[in-house]
Amino acid sequence: MGKLSSRLLVLFVAILSVLVMGACGDDDDDGGGDGGGGGAARQGGSITIAQTSQPDYLDPALAYTVNAWEPMWLVYTPPVTYKRAEGLEGTELIPGVAQKMPEISADGTTVTFTLRKGLKFSNGKPVKASDFEHTIKRVLNLESGASSFYLIIEGAQEYVDAGKPEGDISGIETNDETGEVTINLTGPDGTILNVLAMNFAGIVPSDTPFEVLSADPPPGVGPYMFTKSEPNREFVMEKNPNFDIPGIPKGNIDTITTKIVKSAERQTQDVISGELDFMQDPPPADLLPQVKAEYSDRYEDQETVNVYYFFMNSSIPPFDDEKVRQAVNYAVDSRALSRLFGGRLAPGCNFLPPGLAGHEEIDPCPYGDPNEPGDLERARQMIQEAGVAGESLEVFTNNDENRPEIGQYLTDLLNKIGFKAELTVLDAGIYFQTLGNEKTKPQVGVTNWFQDFPHPANFLFLIDGDTNQPTNNYNFGRVDDPELNNLIDEVEAAPADGATEQAAEADRYAVEHAYVAPYGSETNATFMSERMDFENCSLFHPVYQNDYSSFCLK
Amino acid sequence: MATEPATTDEAFRAPAAFEEEARREGVHGVGPWRLGVRRLRRNRVALFFGFLFVLLVLVCVAAPIWSKQVAHTGPNENHLTDRIVVDGEEKDVVALDGVPIGPTWQGEFFLGADKNGRDVMVRLLYGGRNSLVIGITAALMTTVLSIILGLLAGFLRGRTDTAIRGLLDVMWSFPVVILGVALGVALALGGLQLGPINISGDSLLITIFVIGLVYIPYMARPVRGQVLSLREKEFVEAARAQGASPLRVMFGEVLPNLASTVLVFFTLLIANAILLEAALSFLGAGVRPPNPSWGTMIDEGVDRIATAPHLTIVPGLMLVITVLSLNVFGDGVRDALDPRAKVRLEH
Amino acid sequence: MARFVVRRLIQMVLVMFAVSILTFLIFNVIPNGDPAVRMAGRQPTETQIEAIRKEWGFDENIFVQYFTTMKKVFTGDLQSYFTQLPVGEEILKGLPRTLSLAIGAAILWMLVAIAFGLYSAVKAGKFADRFLTIIALIGISMPVFWIGALMNYYLGFKLGIFPNGGYVEFTEDPIDWFYHLILPWTALAILFIGFYSRVLRSNVLDTINEDYVRTARAKGLSERQIMLRHVLRNSMIPIITLWGLDFGAVLGGGAILTETVFDLQGVGQYAADSIGQLDVPPVLAVTLFAAFFIVLLNAIVDIIYAYLDPRIRLQ
Repeated sequence: MGKLSSRLLVLFVAILSVLVMGACGDDDDDGGGDGGGGGAARQGGSITIAQTSQPDYLDPALAYTVNAWEPMWLVYTPPVTYKRAEGLEGTELIPGVAQKMPEISADGTTVTFTLRKGLKFSNGKPVKASDFEHTIKRVLNLESGASSFYLIIEGAQEYVDAGKPEGDISGIETNDETGEVTINLTGPDGTILNVLAMNFAGIVPSDTPFEVLSADPPPGVGPYMFTKSEPNREFVMEKNPNFDIPGIPKGNIDTITTKIVKSAERQTQDVISGELDFMQDPPPADLLPQVKAEYSDRYEDQETVNVYYFFMNSSIPPFDDEKVRQAVNYAVDSRALSRLFGGRLAPGCNFLPPGLAGHEEIDPCPYGDPNEPGDLERARQMIQEAGVAGESLEVFTNNDENRPEIGQYLTDLLNKIGFKAELTVLDAGIYFQTLGNEKTKPQVGVTNWFQDFPHPANFLFLIDGDTNQPTNNYNFGRVDDPELNNLIDEVEAAPADGATEQAAEADRYAVEHAYVAPYGSETNATFMSERMDFENCSLFHPVYQNDYSSFCLK
Repeated sequence: MATEPATTDEAFRAPAAFEEEARREGVHGVGPWRLGVRRLRRNRVALFFGFLFVLLVLVCVAAPIWSKQVAHTGPNENHLTDRIVVDGEEKDVVALDGVPIGPTWQGEFFLGADKNGRDVMVRLLYGGRNSLVIGITAALMTTVLSIILGLLAGFLRGRTDTAIRGLLDVMWSFPVVILGVALGVALALGGLQLGPINISGDSLLITIFVIGLVYIPYMARPVRGQVLSLREKEFVEAARAQGASPLRVMFGEVLPNLASTVLVFFTLLIANAILLEAALSFLGAGVRPPNPSWGTMIDEGVDRIATAPHLTIVPGLMLVITVLSLNVFGDGVRDALDPRAKVRLEH
Repeated sequence: MARFVVRRLIQMVLVMFAVSILTFLIFNVIPNGDPAVRMAGRQPTETQIEAIRKEWGFDENIFVQYFTTMKKVFTGDLQSYFTQLPVGEEILKGLPRTLSLAIGAAILWMLVAIAFGLYSAVKAGKFADRFLTIIALIGISMPVFWIGALMNYYLGFKLGIFPNGGYVEFTEDPIDWFYHLILPWTALAILFIGFYSRVLRSNVLDTINEDYVRTARAKGLSERQIMLRHVLRNSMIPIITLWGLDFGAVLGGGAILTETVFDLQGVGQYAADSIGQLDVPPVLAVTLFAAFFIVLLNAIVDIIYAYLDPRIRLQ
């Protein structure tokens, strides 16, 4: 080799090494990941997850349970949606299929937004503004459990009354050419943006039929799409190639198969062994100690926004006497109840739970520290003084999960402080309707509330005197305190973070006057198989809980 | 299926050995009852289990005594946050993660605690009361109704017989558990209205009614068969010849002779009724919470089987021992009373 | 013989008719309350209740109601109000699982019962006989869901010898299908083994003393040949008829408990789940079909019995 050739060789090797090192360097850059499932997470793969029961509906207009919303919010996107983040940050609203956050008129009765350009459904069809009106029509026409939220739209009630699916909702005007949507409301409502962020407003094409489509869900705009649905057996979601909305992650896993496995014990065992990658419900109390002890590297407790409480009917004796209600509050022992949740209860005396805007920790709790025993002696005395000792009570509970046990605890407690209480266990399917019917006149019972959306009004309406109605009433305690009602009105008129002081005051007021006996919030959990990247890829959203689009494999 | 009585025509035929024995004993001239008692007395095993059953019943009847004097707690009293001393160590009755304590073999929480911190032994005894009351009452109900139907059908024959047989056929076709659950659920929601009597869905009576109803064909048919054969006997003819009315003959002559059949069936019926109650309660269609019964205790215990197996094992064992005692004793009674009983199940 | 068969079949149809009436009464008439509300299950709206009322004819007289109900059942028009799925399809999906369970268990219990029963009879009165009798009685006394739950947990979950419940399709993996069914078969069979072995035992003991057996012995046949050819065969006749009846009963009832404990998702579990959800259409359909199946089996068993024992035909 001559001098030239050897120099050429060195040059060649040099170039080669630079190229090689450059490539290695690129790999290093890709190595880092972040919790939110950002671009650095490993892409691709398919996983199998399990639910204990079939989602009530796989139809966006009707689905109203957590186990339905967890998959659904990845398939259907409403005009506004929530930031994919944990904690309070996840309650921030961001534009969904709308170009930017909708504009609300000064008097709060008109909402306008424009759809993003070039949006396509998962089947490739372009999204039109009129699709939005059709989406809302389905919610109303199919008598969704959420219809009441959308009746605030002008013309919605008339549309429902007319009973014709193809009728028109006068309050919604759409322009398919410009993509503009104008919604007129019957009055200002601070929760309207949250309502527009619910899955029910997840946009579907205008030709979606007016029937329940759980067996064949309609196309939507979302990072994933349904490719198979066999009710009661399984359904499959795959990545939607037509999805591209800034601010909403596209997801890492290619295919997610959800199987319906009735036994939570089997699910737990399968996640342990790796046959399942994730289970939607937390492991049952029976296996939790083992999971926490042996698999803590892929298990985590998660706080969710809910409150568990006992309602007391303040419109009839004996709980029309504030002292009697206070006595019950003194007696309740959160630590006892926590055991009935297998330890998955975060004790507290607030009615508005942590994680909700407007929550201000009430410290000290007026009826004793939740982490201390209940004061049975004092409660007994108060009952005596109020002259209601020996009165008979009917305690209500339902037969879901641990509610019978909670009901039995409450019944025993009431007996211990001087009542003659008996428990009535109703089937979960008719429980809330029965309690909400004024003919029932329930005195006291077990109930809870999980947030529909992150606005304090969504909890406060449960003790709002203005919402009392003869049937389908959720204010089981028939609370009707004018001062409280006024505070709640103010909270309802403002957006979620707009009236936090009034919300906190309403909370304190309700607790001090013992209108309810809250005892804590239930915690959820995330438990994954070995091959999932638990550390970097598991986002737990405050509203929609486990975010599958954040999942990734190791 | 645990809910089928262990009786059939063939099961009633004992080995020829017994016949031999009878001949050897030279027992001609002694009444069937005396003979039966004598035979039973010699059957040590059956006697043992018979006494065992009576003992179990007495223990359950004495539930309030145990509850007050030994355990110092009632069956529905929660002790979720209590602590007790076991072998010098202080322990939680129910741990923070919800796991209840196992058997302590002490006065309080002798057999441990359940999910709500209630004393398992106390609940076992009170639950036993419920299970036994339901089992025995349901068996009684079945027996009474079966005797009536069997007598009417076998004695009056003709259209009454065809009608009753048809009714029994229909009831016989119903899968016992499904029928029990369907009835239990249907009635539990709204209760039962029999004319002026209104029974609430919660009541034990509904469960008793359902179980009692379901077993009628199993007993009515053999009774009918017995009546058919007794009918032709001489003493019946004699009574008729004397001018006794059919009713008189039915109740005066035929009924007493049914006694041995009925007695044997009754014992076995109780056993099956108890098992059926457990099955129904396990499926949620029998005794409703918070009332304890062995079936509901097993149901509550099964989802704690990993961390608190005593909740499932204890009530189950009680069930097995009780039903076994009844079965063995009933077997012995059958062997003693009628070694060659030809009680046929009509096809 | 032919006349008997015809008579028996007519009887069968009549009983089925009566069964349908009784089922109808149980679900729609006897219980208190509004049947439309009951039918609508969970969280029904007023419109839904009205629609159900019209669909099932609850606003009409009882005969119309009955016919509407029956028509819906037999034309496969039944739809669950809870899952929105057609009931007929769900039953068909669950049927192979229930049948796998029932047939497998039935074969198991027959084989073991014959072995136990024969052995007991041969050693009648001796220790082995008494011991087996006690075992059999214990078997009859055990609640199937209890022993099933214990086996499932200890042998399945804890020791891992067997799978922890669940069902695998035969078409998917025959070996796994078998493996998953071992525990459920055992749980279900334990109960019947006890019962049938004792019945067989007493039958055999009776038959042994019959004349034709003595003749066979005199002819010089070996004990074994006598056992198998004469005694066993004649003892089996009533057993077979019982077996037919109990098989029907298992399908209709015992299967529910076993399926629920082992999560086999068969027809029994479908009924149990529906009951828990207050979902009337599936329960109605399953009850009806289980009862029909039993009636059919009863009839077949009767016909076989009549064929084998001519005296019955003349009744």
